[in-house]
Amino acid sequence: MTAPRRLLLGLAVVAVPLLLALLGPLFAGEPGPRAASFTLGGGHWLGTDFVGRDVWQQVLHGGRTVVLTALAATALAYLVALPVGLVSAVTHARRLEELLMRPLDVLLAVPSLLLVLLVASVFTPGAAGLALLVALVNVPDAARIVRAAAAEAAARPAVEALRMQGESWWRVAVGYVGRSSLRTLAADAGIRLTGVLYLVSTAAFLGVGVAPDAADWAVMVDRNRTGLFVQPWAVVVPALLIVALTTGTNLLFDAALEKSPRRKGRRP
Amino acid sequence: MKTAPRGTSSGGPGGLRSFVARRLTLGLVQTAAVVLLVFALTEALPGDAAVALAGDQPDPARIASIREAMDLDRPAHERLADWAAGLPRGDFGTSLTSGRPVAEYIAGGFGPSLLLAALTLALLVPLGFGLGVLAARHEGRLIDRLVSSVTLAVYAVPEFALGVLLVSVFALKLAWLPPTAVGYGTDLIGHPAVLVLPVLVLLARPVCSLSRLVRAGMVDALASPYAAHARRYGVPGARVHYAHALPNALAPAAQQLARTIDWLLCGVIVVEALFVIPGLGTVLLNAVAERDVPVVQGLAVVFGVLTVVLNLAADVVAYRLTPRAGVAA
Repeated sequence: MTAPRRLLLGLAVVAVPLLLALLGPLFAGEPGPRAASFTLGGGHWLGTDFVGRDVWQQVLHGGRTVVLTALAATALAYLVALPVGLVSAVTHARRLEELLMRPLDVLLAVPSLLLVLLVASVFTPGAAGLALLVALVNVPDAARIVRAAAAEAAARPAVEALRMQGESWWRVAVGYVGRSSLRTLAADAGIRLTGVLYLVSTAAFLGVGVAPDAADWAVMVDRNRTGLFVQPWAVVVPALLIVALTTGTNLLFDAALEKSPRRKGRRP
Repeated sequence: MKTAPRGTSSGGPGGLRSFVARRLTLGLVQTAAVVLLVFALTEALPGDAAVALAGDQPDPARIASIREAMDLDRPAHERLADWAAGLPRGDFGTSLTSGRPVAEYIAGGFGPSLLLAALTLALLVPLGFGLGVLAARHEGRLIDRLVSSVTLAVYAVPEFALGVLLVSVFALKLAWLPPTAVGYGTDLIGHPAVLVLPVLVLLARPVCSLSRLVRAGMVDALASPYAAHARRYGVPGARVHYAHALPNALAPAAQQLARTIDWLLCGVIVVEALFVIPGLGTVLLNAVAERDVPVVQGLAVVFGVLTVVLNLAADVVAYRLTPRAGVAA
């Protein structure tokens, strides 16, 4: 497939879950009275869930948390990783670079889901807490990518020229070095968003960062599993939406950033 | 990596030795950091740790027993020293809910988890390399586009979503395989049908990433001057493919295998929850739900140290394969 066609395919796949997630709550309307759990028909065209709520209404409500938590976590990760990576790439003080980057190497050693579960065993994080946690897990890797991309630009003769002309640190570091590494960073952001979507939904499936009866696609998959043989729609529909969301995001970014140098072998 | 494959000579044994020494130091620091981080968890509890852990049943007897079990009356550094000293001997403390030693929990859940991980790894390497080589040999043709698109699509899918969809199709609709491992206990090897879906789910993501890397490495090498030169000399195609192009993909693949450990760990936790397999992941999730901190800490140390060691091994292997690639150390 050519790049534009793959772009269209990615857009088509991601459009359904994304629109449902962002606009769904507007069309959901008032929750009706609860019916018996795990029934089909009776005015509920996707049946009812484990406590007798309408599945279609839960589906309309359930995407927003996943999408917003993932976006917030990705943004937060870069909010820390960008300054750390940029400063350590541009600085000439080797001590400062070591001071900034070495602690992150140590954090890389802890498996991501394990860290999330560790914290969940002591605190009960909400959606904001989960976003913070997932962002923290992503900072070390993101900072390394930023530093690598910026170090390449910072070694160019143009940077020396700018320095000799007496340009300010801000203009050199952000205006030139930061801007030159934008393309690599955009590619990394796509990969990172896919990884964050994976981690956020998996954490929600395991019950971290969400209420046990929350309207959330991952929680729906978990809680309605007991009725899989009676009422499969309550599980299959949210699961398909999550698959479409993650796959579509990945396809979209891969096609959009075709020509950029892709990183190899990094943790998403 | 545009050099001839097997370029180990440029680093020399001295380079390798100093690299290993540096990497070992980092590994030791990482291990210490994991132990500290896991211990710091109880210190991070707001207020009185024993009261916080008692949670829903805050009766004085339970609070006292938690305080006693975790030695909360002693200063933190003494507890850390004791706990850390016990770790190498396999003494992880005792559970808050049952009073049994944590080591017993770990020993009990080890079998099923190890079986799942070993089966997955054993199938991952041939499948990942096979698909990657297949795609690279037919670069640009239908089979390559098919493999590349499918691996790209499946790569990002969370295990739990893929898992329930597979269960819906193969256990519910077709009734070929059992939906969960309920009723089989820890004797999974005696019932291979139970293992098919869990291993399939665990394989999905690593196979995709590994085959994409192998394909990229081989395509890179096949387009390089040395491969063209070999062809001009009349070296047979198979030899160019497998003796010259494939090794080019080995170093990134070895690195990726180490990253896979992280995924496999996450995957095993999810898959055990999904298919109700009594392994370490289930033990961990139960302990998290019951706020059984000593069990969580013990498992976290085991998982963390395992990750550190495997990453170290992969980095050393990758360095041996391409000494100039500058593997992170």
